Amino acid sequence: MSRPGLVLEVDERTPPILVHEGEGFRLERFPLGTRVIYPPDSLPGLRDLTGRIRDALLNPLGSEPLPELLRSGMRLTIVFDDLSLPLPPMRAPDVRQRVIEQVLEMAAAAGVDDVELIAGNALHRRMTPAEIKHIVGERVFTSFWPDRLRNHDAEDRDDLKSLGQTRHGEDVEINRRAVESDLIVYVNINLVAMNGGAKSVAVGLASYKSLRHHHNVHTLRHSRSFNDPPNSAMHHSYDRMHELLSESVRVFHIECTLNNDQFPSPFEFLNKREWEWTLKDQAKFLAAKRANDLAPAGARHRVWQGMRAPYGVTGVHAGATDQVHERTLAAVHRQQLTEVHGQSDVLMLGLPYLCPYNVNSVMNPILVYSLGLGYYFNMYRGKPLVREGGALIMYHPMKSEFHPLHHPSYIDFYEEVLTQTTDPATIETKYEEQYATDPWYVHLYRNSYAYHGVHPFYMWYWGAHALSHLGDVICVGADRKVASRLGFRAASTLADALEMAGETVGRSPSLTYLHTPPMTLADVR
Amino acid sequence: MSESVHDGLAGRTVLLTGVTGFIGQALLERLLSGHPGTRVVTLLRERPGVTAEQRLDELLAKPVFAPWRERTGEDAAREIVRDRVRVVPADITESVPELPDDVDVAIHGASIVSFDPPIDEAFATNVVGTIDLYEAVRRAGERAGKTPHIVHVSTAYVAGSRKGIVPETTLDHEVDWATELEYAVEARRTVERDSRRPEVLGRLRAAALGEQGKAGPTAVAADTERRRREEVDNRLTDYGRERARSLGWPDVYTLTKALGERAAEETARDLPLSIVRPAIVESALRHPYPGWIDGFKMADPLILAYGQGMLRALAGIPDGIVDIIPVDMVVNALLGAAAQVPEPGAPAYYHVGSGARNPLTLQRLVELVQGYFAEHPLPGTDGRGAIRPRDVTLLSDGRAEKMLGTAERAMDLAERALLILPSGERTRGWQRTLHKQGREVRALRRFRDLYGAYGAAEVVYADTATVALDRSLPDGAGCDSAVIDWDHYLREVHCPAVTGAFRLAPPHHPQPRPALTSGRPAPPAVRFEERRDVAAVFDLDGTIVASDVVEAHLWARLLDVPVRSWPGTLLPVLRSAPRYLRMEHRDRGEFLREFVRRYEGANEARLRALARERLADVLLRRAWPQAIRRIRSHRAAGHRTVLLTGTVDVFVEPLRTLFDDVLAARLRVVDGHFTGHFEHPPLIGEARAAWLRSWAREEGVDLAASWAYGDHYSDRPVLEQVGNPVAVNPDPRLYRHAKRERWTIADWDGDTGAVSTLLDAALEEAR
Repeated sequence: MSRPGLVLEVDERTPPILVHEGEGFRLERFPLGTRVIYPPDSLPGLRDLTGRIRDALLNPLGSEPLPELLRSGMRLTIVFDDLSLPLPPMRAPDVRQRVIEQVLEMAAAAGVDDVELIAGNALHRRMTPAEIKHIVGERVFTSFWPDRLRNHDAEDRDDLKSLGQTRHGEDVEINRRAVESDLIVYVNINLVAMNGGAKSVAVGLASYKSLRHHHNVHTLRHSRSFNDPPNSAMHHSYDRMHELLSESVRVFHIECTLNNDQFPSPFEFLNKREWEWTLKDQAKFLAAKRANDLAPAGARHRVWQGMRAPYGVTGVHAGATDQVHERTLAAVHRQQLTEVHGQSDVLMLGLPYLCPYNVNSVMNPILVYSLGLGYYFNMYRGKPLVREGGALIMYHPMKSEFHPLHHPSYIDFYEEVLTQTTDPATIETKYEEQYATDPWYVHLYRNSYAYHGVHPFYMWYWGAHALSHLGDVICVGADRKVASRLGFRAASTLADALEMAGETVGRSPSLTYLHTPPMTLADVR
Repeated sequence: MSESVHDGLAGRTVLLTGVTGFIGQALLERLLSGHPGTRVVTLLRERPGVTAEQRLDELLAKPVFAPWRERTGEDAAREIVRDRVRVVPADITESVPELPDDVDVAIHGASIVSFDPPIDEAFATNVVGTIDLYEAVRRAGERAGKTPHIVHVSTAYVAGSRKGIVPETTLDHEVDWATELEYAVEARRTVERDSRRPEVLGRLRAAALGEQGKAGPTAVAADTERRRREEVDNRLTDYGRERARSLGWPDVYTLTKALGERAAEETARDLPLSIVRPAIVESALRHPYPGWIDGFKMADPLILAYGQGMLRALAGIPDGIVDIIPVDMVVNALLGAAAQVPEPGAPAYYHVGSGARNPLTLQRLVELVQGYFAEHPLPGTDGRGAIRPRDVTLLSDGRAEKMLGTAERAMDLAERALLILPSGERTRGWQRTLHKQGREVRALRRFRDLYGAYGAAEVVYADTATVALDRSLPDGAGCDSAVIDWDHYLREVHCPAVTGAFRLAPPHHPQPRPALTSGRPAPPAVRFEERRDVAAVFDLDGTIVASDVVEAHLWARLLDVPVRSWPGTLLPVLRSAPRYLRMEHRDRGEFLREFVRRYEGANEARLRALARERLADVLLRRAWPQAIRRIRSHRAAGHRTVLLTGTVDVFVEPLRTLFDDVLAARLRVVDGHFTGHFEHPPLIGEARAAWLRSWAREEGVDLAASWAYGDHYSDRPVLEQVGNPVAVNPDPRLYRHAKRERWTIADWDGDTGAVSTLLDAALEEAR
């Protein structure tokens, strides 16, 4: 049995605490009284994963067993989450591969010939053949690539189908092949509570026309948080869309949940609580820290991006979307939820090297912003960890680095939009349409490996709730120019950052540090 | 106003030449403002599209006439000019037309401006032009039955390189001007003929080829001819300089002025002749206003160079005399001399200078100028406050020459070295520094050449006649240099006048901005004017992408084979690298033709598929984001975007959607395989320019309002076609050219450049 989450109050005996900062980390001595929020210990993984998958497919929730839904002559489309999940990518074999293999076996047994596999990458970049192969495995890849295994193309007008509008007037337009199938089997990995459920098909296979109804400033300002579906306007929109598309196509949903084993050896100390580090862990920390600091940037980048997580799978659930997702959320909460009492004046975050959009790529400043003010700020249920008007202090070097192939519209967004304004609403009304419909970005999205032109805007909206909630944002160790471009201030040390935050929150603020990764969802009472 | 001068010139007609010059302007102004009873005839050269009358109008708009126009009123001033000034269009170096009969006085101020002109040009103006003019004056006088008075404007330095006191009398030399003139004219023919010898032309063409080879054959031809003309001019300048020195004059200017005097004496032996020899003429002491000056005169570049902190050493003798005289005193002397008609055959001579009665030594000049700048330093142009004044060392002639020689050789070497080095941000930085230092050395050289003869002469020009003349002039309008207070003149009048233009720029007051959080203020987003008839022409390799033909080929080969075969693929290309480099240096077309032979036998469909699926990403990764953004903003403004490249079309495909027109090289295909030859000659250098011109004509594109982007000197012909050329990360040669032509220079960079990250990606892909 693993231990529940913990809120530690820093006292004289507390050792320095680990803080991530991009492709590196440091030990920070937080001021006495700082609350440090740890997730529950990593849950044990399933021993018999194959058996569990089979069991889930044969005894689904709210649905006939999968074999009963399969018949000869039918059209079957298997959709799977793209490389934005999980983070870091899972050590091979990926659990999606294991699920898909079983689904395909059952389909073969039932004599289903018309099978296609589509990645639910929405407006994310296409995955390279190697990346797809990593997810679906060698066997599936060789049998289906490239004709019957492909990326979803949200700009292929011929391969999109409009299903009308929800009762709120939201367009639902998704992948034609999927909608015109007799059955969609969605294979999902749930890393955080935001993912999965109604979101999977409604977002993963949608087009810009459909996505703009929930990926906008208004919706995100009313998603508090987007990791708490009942209180997330965004998820309400997903639900309406899912409801509408369920009228046209049946979805058999398979969701997998993972434990918190995010870092492989020799970095496994990153998964542990600092005062429980053994001598070996401490030695490993010192060695890793030293090597990491000394390594040339390129080599360091390769090591971090090459990391594959030794995740354990904690649950596999299959069947009707709603019922499956309920179980999934429970499993996610079991692994990530830590109860916290009350908000604080200052929230501190260590931002790691990875977010959903820079796998095998470069973490650019806009992604850093969205990781801090979007993903991590929203890792709460109930109330934000920081009070309204409070300050956020985040650690990241924030270099002005971009991947020219993956993030071309980000570069232009950074140079042309952020130089004019950082206000999400202004950005949305003034620039979104232009970037979203720009033929060059569309061309790159479809033919190269670029995120869609509108994607940096979504990243910016992701932080909209935090921006209107917070009184100040200070970036420790950040490039000053970059921080200022984002509208923030940079500080060289935590002490300086706290000094600066004093203008907003007074001389003796209450402090909270969210110790993540591994993933921690704060349940703020 | 003086009665005597009034008496002398009232009711008379004065002919002026050289009226657009410094002294000429002041003369005309004084005649208009101070001699209401005097009529003026001016000789003015017509310029293409500008008549002599229009030139007079331009002239009258100049600052020298401002006080007079203001006093009189614009309309009245125009009326007076119409009434009293006649214009005779003429170029005295060509021929002198018949002059109005009523000319009473001819003040001949026209002369060649340069000190080192080709010998024949110097003679044409200063000797031939003078004789022709005086003949015409005599004929006009004969027609009217009078003997017009000729006032010949010379220079004190006609005395030549000598020491001691020079009296006001005819020059002491035995040189026969007619013989010298004959040989000067002959020299032009000889030099022109010599410059057309095959050995010479071959040498010039080789030099032009080395410099301009990459820009194409037309550029080479034009450059060869330019070099020939330059060499002819230089040679004729040498002829002039050496002849002058051999006869005892510092340069051909003073030699021809001296011979011009002799010619004048002979031509006008039956006319009244006054010869006026001013020294170094500088800004006005009083009239038309203190400090009036037109352009920079002899001492001024030196003063400015000092003020700008560029002058640290100067060749000259500290106690040598710098014979400066304000322009209004010269004008006073000229008009005074014009009013005092000597007997025909007994010319009057006047030295107008300060050396005899109020000498200013070089040492004192330097001190006063230093004092002025210490009090009023020039504002810096870079927002870093005023320019720091420096001490100036006075060097002896020999030492200065040695130092300069060394500096020039070093500059030359450094420049050549930089042209060989590969281009980059650092090389461009060095080039910038060199450009600046080069300016300093060139300035020093110029000063040395100029002041070597004039600045520190140990000679005194006697001015008894001028002083006597001064007695006939009214107070405040005289020509006695003793009234000049050098301290006052240099620090209150002259230096402020010379530096005025440099102080006009508004002082730099940066807005205060938060110091810690903000970086450089973001440059405003580029927005072009919306136009349909404007094109933006881009080169590919090096301009849009950080790669080239060879790299594209290598990627194509490498991505097609497993990693373990990479060495085998790389080796043959690497082995040929020196050969390719040599060829590229010689002729890009030759290199391209040779290189594409590597595609011989390659399957077209396969290469196209490879380019589409794998190479596209390499190319996009290597593209500068700024370049892509620039192309897109041109498109957003409705401009036609054009890609002009020698790269094979297969590799251009990924960028095709950015362009309205793409012109790339095509390889010949037979039975689905490349033959290793081009389908058409690849478009390089001038071929691109020619294509662009004809394309623009057909499509109705306005090239003068268009844009072109290139990185290599071979892009120069294309860049020259448009009104807005941009040199992107230019190679040293193009950088130098762009700097000289004041083209925009763009530094585009990003993570794009790093081959290592790219290699990673390729490795990843290949696995």
